Amino acid sequence: MGARIAALVVAALVIALAAAQDLYPRTPLYHTWQYALAVAIGLVVTFAYANGARRGADGVLGKRLLLAMAGAMVAGVAGLASGLLGPDTTTIVGTPGTVVPVPALGAAAFFGAADADAIARASAGVILRRKNAGDVVLGPPAHRVVGESLVYLEARPAAYVDVYDERGAHLTVTQPTNTSFLSPVLLFRQRQRIGALDVPFDTFATPARHRVVRALYFTPSDLAQFNHASADMKRPGVVLTVADDAGKPLGITLAVTGQDVSIAGLRVRATIGAYPALAVAAAPPTWALVAGVVLFVLGLAWSALPQGS
Amino acid sequence: MPRFLVIAAVLFLSACYNAPDAGRSGGGSGPASLAGAPAQSFDVPRTDGRIDSLARHRGQVVLMNLWTTWCPPCRDEMPALQRFARENAGKVVVLGIDQGESASTALAFAKERGVTFPILVDEQQQYGRAYEGIGLPTSVVVGRDGHVVKGIDGAMTLEQMRAVVAPALARSAP
Repeated sequence: MGARIAALVVAALVIALAAAQDLYPRTPLYHTWQYALAVAIGLVVTFAYANGARRGADGVLGKRLLLAMAGAMVAGVAGLASGLLGPDTTTIVGTPGTVVPVPALGAAAFFGAADADAIARASAGVILRRKNAGDVVLGPPAHRVVGESLVYLEARPAAYVDVYDERGAHLTVTQPTNTSFLSPVLLFRQRQRIGALDVPFDTFATPARHRVVRALYFTPSDLAQFNHASADMKRPGVVLTVADDAGKPLGITLAVTGQDVSIAGLRVRATIGAYPALAVAAAPPTWALVAGVVLFVLGLAWSALPQGS
Repeated sequence: MPRFLVIAAVLFLSACYNAPDAGRSGGGSGPASLAGAPAQSFDVPRTDGRIDSLARHRGQVVLMNLWTTWCPPCRDEMPALQRFARENAGKVVVLGIDQGESASTALAFAKERGVTFPILVDEQQQYGRAYEGIGLPTSVVVGRDGHVVKGIDGAMTLEQMRAVVAPALARSAP
C-alpha cells in the first residue's frame, strides 16, 4: 500500500517535471544534471514498481496501475530526452529592424523596429517567418511551440540614444564594435565587473564629433548602492564615459533614462528600457506529454473501479 | 544488479549533459546578404520637409545610398552619384539617405556640393539598421518589384554604379 502510493506520487512528479518544460520554459533548470537526476530517479522508481506489479506483487490493483506507470514513463523519457539530448537553449540577440536566420527552426526572425518609445515600454516583438507555414508573432510574455522547439522572448536591457552637438544638431550614432554599425539602440551585449556588480555595457561613437562613449547599464537598485545624490533611484540609468578618437578620457556622467546630459561637447539622451532577444529551447513533444497524462489518468480511473469489473 | 543499473543510468545521463550556451548573437552579414529580400521602407522627411520613403518609389528601379556628411568616402562618392542620377533621370531613382544627422546639416552639404537628387533625413537611422549597414557609404539597388537586387558596402565609382544597376534595369524592364 505504502509502495503503491509512493510510486503514484513519484509518477505524478515525473509527469509534472516533464510538463514544466513546456509550461515554464524560462528556466535554465532543464539542462542541469540535477534535473536529469531527479527525472531519472523518478523513472527508476516508477519502473521498479511497474516491474513488481507486472509480476503480481501488488495484486490486481497494481496490474491496473501499470497503465498509469506507463504514462509517467512516456512523459518522463520525453522530458529527459529533450532536457539532455535536445539542443541547449540558444538566445539570439537581434538588432531592431533586422532579419536573423534561425536554422534550427527553418525560419527567419524579424526583429521589430524600435524607437525610443518602444524601448521605454519594452513593447517590441519578433516575427518568425517560416517557409510553407504561417508567421509566428511573438509578443513579450508569450511562448510558443514551433516544431520540436519552444520559442519565447527574453527581455534584455536596452537603451535608445539620441546625441546632439552643442548647437542642437542631431549626430549620427555608430557602433563600430558591433554588427549593428548604424544603430542607435544599445543592447549591452558585453559585461564588466565593477566591485561586486556585474554590469552590462555597450559602446557607441559619434564620428562627426570624434567621440567614443562607453555606456554602463545600472538598475535602480545598482544606482542606490552608489548613493549618487543626483540620481533618480526609481529609474535605471547609464554611466557614460567619453573619450576622444585617440582614447583620451574627456569625462564621465550619469544619465538617468529620458533626461539630457551634457558631456564633452555632446548632449546625450538615453531612453532606457528593454528589447527582446529570441530564445529557442528544446521541449518534449506535445504528443508525448498528452499521451503520458492520458495513460496516467486512465490507469488511475481503472484502478478506482471495483475489482470485479 | 538493480543498484548497478541505477548507477549506470546516472553515469549515462551525466555524460549527456551539456552546459547551456551563455547566449549567442545573431545578425546578418552586411547589405550583400539582403539580395532577394523584400526592401524595407520607412517614412522620413526629406531636406525640403516633405515625407518620402523607399516604398513611394515602388515600380521604379531605385539606387539608395546611405551616407553622412562626416564620412570621407561618402563625400568622395557624392559627385559620381550626382552624375549617375543626372544621366539616369527617368530610368533610375537615386535616393540619398542621411544617417542620423539633422536636416539642416544634410541640406547645407547638398547645397554646397550641388546635389539635386532627393535627400531623405533618417535621424533615427532606421534604414541603416534595416539594411545592415556595416559601414558608410552603403548602397542598395531595389528592383521595380520592391525587392533588393544588390547591396554594396563602400563607395562606388560611376562605372560601378552603372554596372550594379544595369541588371535591375534589364531584369525588371516593363
